[in-house]
Amino acid sequence: MIIAERKPLDEIKDMVRGYKRVLNVGCGGCTSICLAGGQKEVNTLNADLKKALGAEDVHLEIDGFVIERQCNYDFFEALDEKAGNYDAILSMACGVGVQFVAERYPETPVFPALNTVFCGADRDIGWFEESCRTCGECVLAETGGICPVTRCAKGLFNGPCGGTRLDGTCEVDKDTPCAWYEIYKRLKAQGRLENILKIKPPRQWENQTRRSLVQEDYKQRYIG
Amino acid sequence: MSDIYGLVRGPLAVVAILVFVVGIIYQARQFFSLTRERPVVLPPASVLGKVGQSSGPSLNAINNSILGVHPYLTVITSIVHACLVLVPIFLLAHNVLLYESLGFNLFAFPEPVSDAFTLIVILGGVFFFLRRILVRRVRVITTFYDYFILLIVVAPFLTGYLATHQWFDYQTMLIVHILAGEVMLVAIPFTKLKHGLLFFLYRYLMHYEHSLGSGTRVWSYSKLAK
Amino acid sequence: MPDQEKKPVDTAAIASMLKKKEPEMKRVLNYCLRCSICAESCFLYMAHDGDPQYMPSYKVINSLGKLYKKKGNVDREFLEGIKGLVWRNCVLCHRCYCPIGIDIPRMIDFTRSICRSEGVYPEQDGGESWL
Repeated sequence: MIIAERKPLDEIKDMVRGYKRVLNVGCGGCTSICLAGGQKEVNTLNADLKKALGAEDVHLEIDGFVIERQCNYDFFEALDEKAGNYDAILSMACGVGVQFVAERYPETPVFPALNTVFCGADRDIGWFEESCRTCGECVLAETGGICPVTRCAKGLFNGPCGGTRLDGTCEVDKDTPCAWYEIYKRLKAQGRLENILKIKPPRQWENQTRRSLVQEDYKQRYIG
Repeated sequence: MSDIYGLVRGPLAVVAILVFVVGIIYQARQFFSLTRERPVVLPPASVLGKVGQSSGPSLNAINNSILGVHPYLTVITSIVHACLVLVPIFLLAHNVLLYESLGFNLFAFPEPVSDAFTLIVILGGVFFFLRRILVRRVRVITTFYDYFILLIVVAPFLTGYLATHQWFDYQTMLIVHILAGEVMLVAIPFTKLKHGLLFFLYRYLMHYEHSLGSGTRVWSYSKLAK
Repeated sequence: MPDQEKKPVDTAAIASMLKKKEPEMKRVLNYCLRCSICAESCFLYMAHDGDPQYMPSYKVINSLGKLYKKKGNVDREFLEGIKGLVWRNCVLCHRCYCPIGIDIPRMIDFTRSICRSEGVYPEQDGGESWL
């Protein structure tokens, strides 16, 4: 899931200052689940903003609203009816949602209330951990299910480098385990060490340009 | 008795057919006035070629279709529904009536075929009835109304079969049969039975399979941003 | 929206939300043939050993269907009661399949928005995990 965190209040305050009526739109998808941009967080942020701006004698009229997904226009119907009544929209979705909202209402300024930080897993309540960089060339089969792109400081496809410390941590940070040492341990335990010797060709770095995908079974629909 | 027969065969039949036809047209018109076409946005051509060292279409597509998931149900329901629609239209006796009334008739099934198809519909009714009672997941969403609808559908076929074979008093059975048929005709546009029509109309709203048009109609009260 | 939890439910507001979508909703609820074919298309239904409470049609009939039947005249307890059906039992993945073409997730989405308008939504940091 996509993990996000709320921006510092001052930053959000500066975005909405100067607008009379603002709609804060939460998202019922990932940002609800990662506890950053659901209905509860919308309510909290609105209260915080009112209080902070009130202290500066700025009157802000801010309403909250939540749609189930900001990354799919099928869910925008109820928002469509409201959006026009506001001078600005604050979105508590990930960057995808913010852009979708901004595209949908091009005349209205749309601001992000969150920073989108990574694709990750729920470690425990409120604790998330990055585990995928969506590089588009998954090598987990050969790396014992440990992603070197995400976990290695250098994102090495072939490792380890010479910077592994004796205790198995990374030269960059003594609290970070060396991804390739972890991969070595896992593969060894599974008796698949030969995998680490395979040389993987350089990545295509396709994620440097915007990606777009139509699933094979649906191509016919768009070719027409 | 013959008064009643005259009534159900004459004016009531005309009324039922009119209600059926007007009802269907009304429902279809309602559907199109409540929905509107939404333009399709196509991805840039480059996308269709570029991404995907793809796996190609699934070799097991059929396993994921209804036919794959519910083979027996799919076959049974298709046959039953086909018989249900065909028998009344191509029954010899109905075509004789049609000829007597309007001076033309359609092709008619041989009697044994009609008989068999009618039995299929009746057995189908029994099947769906038992399914509603015996299968838990169907039972939990079944209401009295669903049984009632089933009865409305099966009644004309059952009474028609009994009348044809003159198992009870023929005249009475015939009247009951005609009445049952009229009730069904009237019920089609205004009950769940309109699924016969909506099944096709809703394909204008579905963009994912067996669409009609481009399948991109939407309910028109949705205020869409441009 | 804060403190809505304590307020009585605004039944008039719910009724007007229902009214707006009535043409579509009425048709969908009346159109559903209760055939149960949608069941297997729901991965949650499959993952819960065929528990009918995860069947897409069941979720709509027992949430929005009831709301519509009661014309929005419900209390907070009712909304809390259907919360599990429309959140825990459905992730809005849009993969459910209705042979006659009912857009089930659209109805679930609508039910959620009604719940949300009254401040009823999953407390993800509460005891229960919703996903």
